[in-house]
Amino acid sequence: MEHAWDFSAVFTNSYLLLIGLKNTIILAVVCLVLGLFFGLFVGAARYSTRIVFNWPATAFVEVFRNTPVLVQIMWFFFAFPIISPFDIDAFTAATLGLTLNTIAFSSEIYRAGIQSIHRGQWEAAKALGMNYTNQMRRIILPQAIRRMIPAFMNRAVELVKMTSLASVIAYGELMYQAKTISTIEFNPIEMYTSVALIFFVLIFPLTLFVQRLEIKSKGRG
Amino acid sequence: MGYEWDFGVVLRDFDLLLWGLVNTLKVTGLSLLFGVPLGLFLALWRLYGGRLIRVPVGVLIEFLRTTPPIAQLFWFFFAMPILLGIEIDPFQASVLTFSLQSSAFFAEVFRGGIVSIDNGQWEAAKAIGMDRNASLRRIILPQAVKRMVPAFLERAIELMKTTTLVGTISYADLLYEANNIAQSTYRSLEVFSLAAGMYFVVIFACSMGVRRLERHLGRTGETTTG
Repeated sequence: MEHAWDFSAVFTNSYLLLIGLKNTIILAVVCLVLGLFFGLFVGAARYSTRIVFNWPATAFVEVFRNTPVLVQIMWFFFAFPIISPFDIDAFTAATLGLTLNTIAFSSEIYRAGIQSIHRGQWEAAKALGMNYTNQMRRIILPQAIRRMIPAFMNRAVELVKMTSLASVIAYGELMYQAKTISTIEFNPIEMYTSVALIFFVLIFPLTLFVQRLEIKSKGRG
Repeated sequence: MGYEWDFGVVLRDFDLLLWGLVNTLKVTGLSLLFGVPLGLFLALWRLYGGRLIRVPVGVLIEFLRTTPPIAQLFWFFFAMPILLGIEIDPFQASVLTFSLQSSAFFAEVFRGGIVSIDNGQWEAAKAIGMDRNASLRRIILPQAVKRMVPAFLERAIELMKTTTLVGTISYADLLYEANNIAQSTYRSLEVFSLAAGMYFVVIFACSMGVRRLERHLGRTGETTTG
């Protein structure tokens, strides 16, 4: 009954865990950068009143927001290669799934942020003779992005958690490494406890930071 | 180059996918059933417990919110049974994990809702002689719950999406069945597309319901999201 905790195998395999941690961070960063970048365009398309932009963007966002992200990852790993002209490894499939998912969610943040800026700002920019791109880039986005930062940080937190799903398609991130080590060393208790702690240490500072930002922005009114 | 789509072999196993969907809904429903009340208690302990209760409950909530659900699921399925010397099947492990995981998020929704109620309501309740329990039950919670409804439903939808993980410990949910059928028919494109479509239909219908409800409730107070 009484379990004798023994973390020694966790430490002797720590270089494998470090590789996993590195892969987790790479996947998260790549998907976050791509997701936030393309999310802006999808968000702008969603905000647009023109049907050619609005409808495809809306369809894309609804599909990716209303299906489980694990289904997306598995679709890109098992189904997509059949019709894809290029080879798809686990990293590519996970990146595709997580990036498209992040684009869908972040585009909604952009859209809400842009919407929250008063119409007068658009009109004032137009009155100065700016075209749409300049209005957006110089007047609207600089004001909107400040309001969006806490929401983006929340997305980043969610994204780091979601990278653990890539273990299902055998991408060697933290969770996958832990699974592998625990079957070799027969130490699931210590291994999974350690991994949960590593994720906690990785993510908790982020959530604290978000909370602080949120309190601060509320104080500003 | 042109790929010949063939849904025929896949549709022959459609009842398996439907059973998978039933299992998905079963895990989601049971986790909600346990997760929501537990979330209320966690929120109350975190808000009004003594320091000895408040601090550990806060740590527990943060831990459940910031670790990946798959890590929690593996812990409860692979680690906990050895630790406690008990046997647990995939279904029990799934319900246990997602009840706890969702309760942490529900706790934050409850807390946000309770905190959002104006202090004057507490004072008014006290003025007519109610103690804290009575004011909470009769004055604060009824108002708070109304504000929380959309946030709750959003969390419930998130929960349904998260339950796709149960396939990793061999519980036969929709995604697990899809994976099995893909392996036996070699029609992974059709199966996974069909499964994704099924998830979409169910989840999108729920999302639309939540949006309508949100509009219906109108601007009676800002909603709190977890």
